[in-house]
Amino acid sequence: MHVDATELEIFKNLFHSVAEEMGAALRRSAFSPNIKERRDYSCAVFDGSRRVAAMGDHMPVHLGSMPSSVAAAVEALDPGPGDIAMLNDPYAGGTHLPDITLVMPVMAPGSRQPVFYVANRAHHSDVGGAQPASMGLSEEIYQEGLRIPPVLLARSGRIERDVMAMLLANVRTPREREGDLTAQIAACRLGERRLTELREKYGNRKTFFYLDALQRYSAHLMSEALGRIPDGLYRAEDCLDDDGYSDRPIPLRVAIRIRGRRARVDFAGSAPACRGGVNAVLAITLSAVFYVFRCLLEEDVPACAGLMAPIEVRAPAGSVVNAQPPSAVAAGNVETSQRIVDVLLRALAQALPGRIPAASSGTMNNLSFGGIDPRTRQPFAYYETIAGGMGARPTADGLSGIHTHMTNSLNTPVEAFESAYPVRVRRYSLRSGSGGAGRFRGGDGLIREIEFLTEVRGTILSDRRRFPPYGLAGGRPGQVGKNQLILPGSDSTLPSKAGFTAPEGSILKIETPGGGGWGKPAGRKRSPKKRAPNKRGR
Amino acid sequence: MRIGVDTGGTFTDCVILKDSRIEILKVFSTPEDATEGILEGVRRLVGHGQRRRPTLIHGTTVGTNSVLERRGALVALVTTAGFEDLIEIGRQNRPRLYDLNVRRDPALVPRALRWGAKERTAADGKILTRPDAAELARLRRAVKRSRAESVAICFLFSFANSANERAVARALRDLGLPLSVSHVILPEFREYERLSTVVINAFLAPRLGQYLDRLDREAKRWFGIGRPPAGGKQQNARLQNTKLQKKKRSAPIFIMQSSGGITTAARAAREPVRTILSGPAGGVVATRWLADRLGIRRVISFDMGGTSTDVCLLDGPARTTHETTLGGLPVAVPVLDVHSVGAGGGSLARLDAGGALRVGPESSGAVPGPICYGRGGTQPAVTDAHLLLGRLDPEYFLGGEFPLDAQATQKGFEKFLRDRDGAGKVRRASRMTPLELAQGIVDVSNATMEKALRVISIERGHDPREFSLVCYGGAGGLHAAELARSLGLERVLVPQNPGTFSAMGILLSDIVKDLSQSVLLPVAFAGKQTRSSRSQKLFEKLERRFARLEQAARAELRRDQMPGGPVKVERRLDIRYAGQSYELSVPFTRRFGELFHREHEKAYGYRDTARPLEIVNLRIRLVIPTPKPRLQQGRVAGNAGGGLLVKKKAAWFGGRRHRTPFYNRDALRPGARFRGPAVVVEYSSTIVVPPGFVCRVDEYHNLVLTQHAR
Repeated sequence: MHVDATELEIFKNLFHSVAEEMGAALRRSAFSPNIKERRDYSCAVFDGSRRVAAMGDHMPVHLGSMPSSVAAAVEALDPGPGDIAMLNDPYAGGTHLPDITLVMPVMAPGSRQPVFYVANRAHHSDVGGAQPASMGLSEEIYQEGLRIPPVLLARSGRIERDVMAMLLANVRTPREREGDLTAQIAACRLGERRLTELREKYGNRKTFFYLDALQRYSAHLMSEALGRIPDGLYRAEDCLDDDGYSDRPIPLRVAIRIRGRRARVDFAGSAPACRGGVNAVLAITLSAVFYVFRCLLEEDVPACAGLMAPIEVRAPAGSVVNAQPPSAVAAGNVETSQRIVDVLLRALAQALPGRIPAASSGTMNNLSFGGIDPRTRQPFAYYETIAGGMGARPTADGLSGIHTHMTNSLNTPVEAFESAYPVRVRRYSLRSGSGGAGRFRGGDGLIREIEFLTEVRGTILSDRRRFPPYGLAGGRPGQVGKNQLILPGSDSTLPSKAGFTAPEGSILKIETPGGGGWGKPAGRKRSPKKRAPNKRGR
Repeated sequence: MRIGVDTGGTFTDCVILKDSRIEILKVFSTPEDATEGILEGVRRLVGHGQRRRPTLIHGTTVGTNSVLERRGALVALVTTAGFEDLIEIGRQNRPRLYDLNVRRDPALVPRALRWGAKERTAADGKILTRPDAAELARLRRAVKRSRAESVAICFLFSFANSANERAVARALRDLGLPLSVSHVILPEFREYERLSTVVINAFLAPRLGQYLDRLDREAKRWFGIGRPPAGGKQQNARLQNTKLQKKKRSAPIFIMQSSGGITTAARAAREPVRTILSGPAGGVVATRWLADRLGIRRVISFDMGGTSTDVCLLDGPARTTHETTLGGLPVAVPVLDVHSVGAGGGSLARLDAGGALRVGPESSGAVPGPICYGRGGTQPAVTDAHLLLGRLDPEYFLGGEFPLDAQATQKGFEKFLRDRDGAGKVRRASRMTPLELAQGIVDVSNATMEKALRVISIERGHDPREFSLVCYGGAGGLHAAELARSLGLERVLVPQNPGTFSAMGILLSDIVKDLSQSVLLPVAFAGKQTRSSRSQKLFEKLERRFARLEQAARAELRRDQMPGGPVKVERRLDIRYAGQSYELSVPFTRRFGELFHREHEKAYGYRDTARPLEIVNLRIRLVIPTPKPRLQQGRVAGNAGGGLLVKKKAAWFGGRRHRTPFYNRDALRPGARFRGPAVVVEYSSTIVVPPGFVCRVDEYHNLVLTQHAR
């Protein structure tokens, strides 16, 4: 059998649409705002040897980390027909605790081993732990929430009620969790059904042949792209503000060696894992590398394992980019992942000065809080991320008020937010002038003001409050962000990572960083918009 | 006498219904001023000396194109203070994940034309801050100074209480600008989607208003039409600057809405956002009508044109969605659930860096067009591939008016393959012959369309094997049978005059008035206690709210001077499990809870009867049916033979050469029956009957393609 260009394109689309379809079903029937409104989930299809064959266009931060989940689930449990494995342990295939991943094998008659796996991961609003929404500041993983090693959530098609009960007893909003998990299970089964139909329609031989061919195809695409980067060693450094416990900056260092059609990415010299939760497990670091190199491809290809084949990643064990138990990791997924992208792009900007943008806001501005809703007297937990400015590109201004790089989650509509939680949004606007100046300007960040209508306990996990997003080629950095808790009669500025108790009537005001500028500001052409439309010439 | 007119990019299609007889005409569109083409078509169809006043029913692309090309009015936007930038922020996500150069079109309203009003309503409808007189005066001054041509007003929670929006609208009314107010246009929750819909409405209002005014004026001049002045005194003074919006004497002109129903030109001028997908809606309506006549419930409409393909699944009556986007902007008014993909006859082929053959979404358009048009196109397109495979008759394209250049196409394909090899990029592709490339292009574009069909069927819980494909538009007939085969569709129907099928649908559409209201009502245990007093109370409460909504809808119909006659009323509820974000729509009956659980299980694979429900929206639709023509039934001859054979020539199917008969559709009589491979040519379309299919002409002159048993 030889690879036919037509069939290759067809199979590529088929596998991708299975992943997309799983995502749509999950989004539409889930309960957490994180899943249904913000779309913080991912669905993927794996081949029998646990290589990613296709992943929906969901969350980049899940890209490189889904395979670890499947590997961990299979090694620990070897799930069979009708089984569904569940896990969230960052040290056994997870990312951070709120991300619960389900893995299901897909069997074929005559084969004792699964021929595919499907997996989906969703960010749940709460998985227990010290802080509502499980995105608090912690010193060890045990404080961050319930840690689930690979366990069977369904066995031979039947849900394991004991396991479910154990989980639900440990979270603040059990009904919501149960609903989300039910939706995740349904999405897995949908994926299983679609893959079986596909295999039956095209036959085993052809299906598996193209499953393989897709890996070679994607590896080839990546090699081509690497081949176009000039050979050399490119180094860069950037840092996180702090870990929430001390104010020492946390440096990240990378050296990218490009040789021919291969790349080696080495994070030697990065800070050791620290006390607060900004530690990233290796899976997250892989995701960030995967993301950056995928952005260099011109083609819109589905995320296949093959894409990573020509890239080698080294991250020293025990460092902030390859954390070991029992380090706390809640912010590694959402903050450190962004900084890894920043440092990778900064290094690549030396190799490809005409293609790489200046730094984007570089933080997801994670806000979580919870309490008792006075309207229902029920506990609630809420989590959201707030967008910032995009870094300027060598050919265009950065966009304003937009999620960049490792996240693409949506905002919760104000009308949905206020209907479901005791809050009032006072302001949600662009933070004018926060983007860095340059020949091309960085995008502006956002300002979000939330008034609490009852007392809440919350946490803000953010960054770029001290060290601004860098500009490139002479462009100025973007403005740093700012967190404020406004109480009647007194304002207090919160650090980049802080827990807080906010009384009824207080307002949390978050200003997010702008993107860096690109090129010297003097080179900026006058914006045509500035000219008044009704005045002719001057 | 009724005339349906569908204005497209190249042609304006006209269909007239005269005493239940149908005639069709295609004239060239007049992009400068579309009314010219329309009136020319109408005049030619109506004929001279015609005394009776025709009713004109129009499907227009003015709205769609204005949004896509960003050519609309200068809009002033008034929002709740603190949310002036929402129109720019949207949902804070980016459209493409891995594109460092991702772009976003500038917002429809620039920052300088956006004002925040000091006002606030809470989620439960309580007014927290009322705009005071000074605030109203400030807004009025600002909007007046801005030289805006149109005004949009959208406040948070206005669907729960519209008092503040109404206050501001009153303050701005005497500026004489068209006003688009969110609780009027779309009283539904989710502020960004509502805002976007209202702003699009404001963006289109002046332009569509002027266009319809001109059409109205010209129509009157041409036909000497005079109708009693439409004199609703209590004219809802929302929009006022055009004559139609003021509702003076107007010609009987109706406009197709995206929902598949028609409305008066005056109403369309005030709510232009409801017309943005006016064109594709016509084809869907015609599909439903045709299938009903044939007694088929489940059909998929398949409209393949030059740059895109529109598909829509109909399991019974056509369904509408509220989640459409146009040019990246959400449009939350009801729109027929048409799914569109960028694959058409003009879609271009290329080989990517990894060696995969890609087709579309780039299209050769009308200029330069595919290689075979001989107008400068050099890159292989889908139409070229069909020509090389022998499935098009180069001498009978557009009835022979436009010969195709097969030789240039062959050379173009050879060059395409050579160039790729020369660049050293793709070894694998160089092994292809031009014929294999052509087959590949057709297969890949089929795969794209198959994906579109899967999205609307399998992905939504429908089994495509239970559906028939109704195929129309210029290029549909070339692909329909192959698609039916790969998805196992029962049969393919090609109606008469597939090229003017959409105009036919426009002609057949009923008058429709849609109103909705967000209520966000919790329902405890609707599944179990259907007869409990609590659920009885809830039911009565809903009854009352529906009655109010119906009253409002009937009042609007009266104001629009709709012809009388029986009105059909449809009531639906949008429901979800409390805590979810997406609703499913079910008819309003006592058993709505049970219906919802069933729908949910069908859509997402599970139900949870213990979980409380939430009613999000009430939706009401008033329908006034319009007269329908009787389909002419032809006599089925015992053996009508193959019809007039044009020629026999070589064509390739599945890599094999077949001597293939070409038939002239006009000469095919009911009862005719032949096996594939065969090709049927007609004025505006070509239909391929591949090997393994049998084609028969039914008593209504439709072609019916089915797979024959082996």
